[in-house]
Amino acid sequence: MAKYIGKRMIHLVGIMIALSFLTFLLMYLAPGDPAVKKLNAQGIAVSPEVLEAVRKEMGLDRPFFVQYGDWALKVLRGDLGESYKDGLSVADKLAKALGYTAQLALGSMLISLLISLPLGMLTALKKDSVLDYVIRFFTFFGNSMPNFLISVLLMYFLCVKARLLPVMAVRSLKGLLLPAVALSVPMCSRFIRQFRAEILEQLSRSYVSGAVTRGVKSRFILFRNVLHNASISILTIVSLTLGSLFGGSVVVETIFRWPGLGKLAMDSITYRDYPVIQGFVLFTAVVYVMVNLFTDIAYRWIDPRVRED
Amino acid sequence: MKKLLALMMILVLALSLAACGKKEEEDVTPEPEPVAEKKILRIAESFAYASLDAHKDYNGWYTSIYGMTETLFKIGNDLSVQPLLATKAEASEDGLTWTITLNPKAKFSNGNAVTSDMVIRNLQRVGEVNDSYHDVSEYVFTKIDDTTFTINTGSVYPTLLTDKLASSAFGIMDLDAGNLDNAPVCTGPFKAKSFEPEGTVEVEKNENYWNGTVKLDGVVFEYMSDDESKLMAMQSGEIDGYSSVTAAAKQIYESDPSRYKVTVIPATRLQFYVLNKNTLSDNVRKAINLTVDCQDIANYLGGTTSAAVGPFGASAPYGKVTKPAVDTAAAEAALQADGYTKNSDGMYEKNGKPLTIKVCYYSARSLDTIATILERQFKAVGIGVELVGVEDADSTYRVTGDYDLALYCMIADKSGDPYYCVNALYRKGGDWGLAGFPNDECEALIDELKSETDINRRAELANQIVQMTIDDNAFGYIGLFNKTTVSAPSVVNIGENSPFDFYAVNADTDK
Repeated sequence: MAKYIGKRMIHLVGIMIALSFLTFLLMYLAPGDPAVKKLNAQGIAVSPEVLEAVRKEMGLDRPFFVQYGDWALKVLRGDLGESYKDGLSVADKLAKALGYTAQLALGSMLISLLISLPLGMLTALKKDSVLDYVIRFFTFFGNSMPNFLISVLLMYFLCVKARLLPVMAVRSLKGLLLPAVALSVPMCSRFIRQFRAEILEQLSRSYVSGAVTRGVKSRFILFRNVLHNASISILTIVSLTLGSLFGGSVVVETIFRWPGLGKLAMDSITYRDYPVIQGFVLFTAVVYVMVNLFTDIAYRWIDPRVRED
Repeated sequence: MKKLLALMMILVLALSLAACGKKEEEDVTPEPEPVAEKKILRIAESFAYASLDAHKDYNGWYTSIYGMTETLFKIGNDLSVQPLLATKAEASEDGLTWTITLNPKAKFSNGNAVTSDMVIRNLQRVGEVNDSYHDVSEYVFTKIDDTTFTINTGSVYPTLLTDKLASSAFGIMDLDAGNLDNAPVCTGPFKAKSFEPEGTVEVEKNENYWNGTVKLDGVVFEYMSDDESKLMAMQSGEIDGYSSVTAAAKQIYESDPSRYKVTVIPATRLQFYVLNKNTLSDNVRKAINLTVDCQDIANYLGGTTSAAVGPFGASAPYGKVTKPAVDTAAAEAALQADGYTKNSDGMYEKNGKPLTIKVCYYSARSLDTIATILERQFKAVGIGVELVGVEDADSTYRVTGDYDLALYCMIADKSGDPYYCVNALYRKGGDWGLAGFPNDECEALIDELKSETDINRRAELANQIVQMTIDDNAFGYIGLFNKTTVSAPSVVNIGENSPFDFYAVNADTDK
């Protein structure tokens, strides 16, 4: 296992180098000047002399490879640099935003699993019943609604009309509820359909009909056999979704004023804040690789055949 | 077992009731006087910065909005320069040296007096830490006494007060007290209570305020960048007001005057276009300017902008320019005079080549909407349009000059004086100079404006320069953004009557 993890860590280093170089190159080639963004933030024209001086001060007048090399050397020393926008440490900004994103990601995942696992099982067991059709209709509906619309509708009905929750999400469990629900709606819709399909697939296997013939209780078959065998696919779906959730959710975070990674990344792209963008890309790469690693480890734990392979 | 449990529950209940009874017996002391509810205003802001250090970047805009920092002078609602921490400023005969007299009553929230030494240190620090004001480092400051000092600018600088001393970046802070990033000690009616970088900012009444009685107990500025969220927070009563209201939200607010007060005033952010003299003939540019219907655009934008004649508001002394009325017949005549004829599709062409204008724009400040309206207006007279949308004009068409018509938006009047805008737009060597407008006559007028000290003559010069750009059909001024503020009906003085974005709450703000 240690050898396997070591190998994945070496892959991670390669991924990080390639990703950081590509991102740096793309940002360098893309139109937009961080110095102009910094000086022109409120729409006031900047004189060419001031602009040139600031570009020099920020090191933007240097060739691409010098800029990238300088950044990479700093990263190797454990320094992700400082934000062009406000001079704050990139590591601090990412760490702060990560805390909020983690709360949102885990909160929405928890809600989604609590709803979609039972409903996925129910729709599979009651296949082609009225209940199945009704739930599938709602999942189709939830899947096709964009996040911003769900967010605004939730806000309107729960905050403005019913006054159950505040529009301005406070940094607490209460504040987390609405953005987490907004993220959960499409996630639940997707999960229910995917879980249903996976459980139906398992239910059609011969081991199920064999167990039924042998008189094994249906509850036992469902929870001990079907769910267990479906868990690898479920785990894959959940881990991939969790990885993308940890990358931040720009729309929901912006609407609910939730200062997570998605909003930070979006603001940084708008401001051409290269150090923060680079830090974010590195962080996202690490998250994806780690989530995949943990998923692989979980596969081995759930299914011994994977270990043998 | 069940009996035992029931007995224990009864016992616990009895003990609880007894405890409650005892508490009630003990609570016989008279009830305290009801505490008056604090008057706290809640405002939504579209931007938030990571520091309260007024001298860095654009933080000063926000410390001014928060009612924390004040400058030596301020710009009034009528665009005039008014005394604030300083009572007067006098220029020497040669125009190189300004003598500033401070208000002896001015003091910081910690009770310290605002002295010449502290003000000089503040001004010097802005020169050191703010990229846009490094030229201040070259000024020579001399203290005369505790409330008087001089500034030698090295060259004649008639707009020192508007450009620098009234600019929010020059907010005065006690540099020896407080934490400049999180809780600077300033002179304004409010002082920092809590500060979340790039988040919510809470200020409380400055009990030591030197310039009157502060009516509110505090203000909370909520960072909300999303327009829909602001609308709903206003509807749910979680905020008391905000500026930069969208057209759609404005309609909703205006439909319920019992709950919302909407104030609309002309402001200083300009939407304009530059016509490229290198790619468009005189007659084509004339046809374009005769076709663009600014009032139609302003109507479409739902009252968020007002149709513009020049870059400045018509009420300003330097906003007295004229432009021809929309006349599509005259526009077509100009095209025909240039040899264009209409083809079977109703579009103008010359030598078999259709007339197509390359319109460049970016998606901000409604410029994308304007681009599509222009396309419609041009097509109606037979001019074809190629729309080119970019993400960032500053690193594309603005610096390459690759356009026939370039749309842009900027603050045209940042401090009640025309020089900044004229210098940024019409100078030789400036970015828009690539479009071929600048000429020696205009350059000489701009040079004269730079050092002219007489206010009337300055206005005259600015009007002359802007009129040249209109007469030459080099620029087209589309609209000036209105400052639209919504608030609860009882809220007053949240900057709703100031054309500038950097003024909001003050001592007279109330709810």
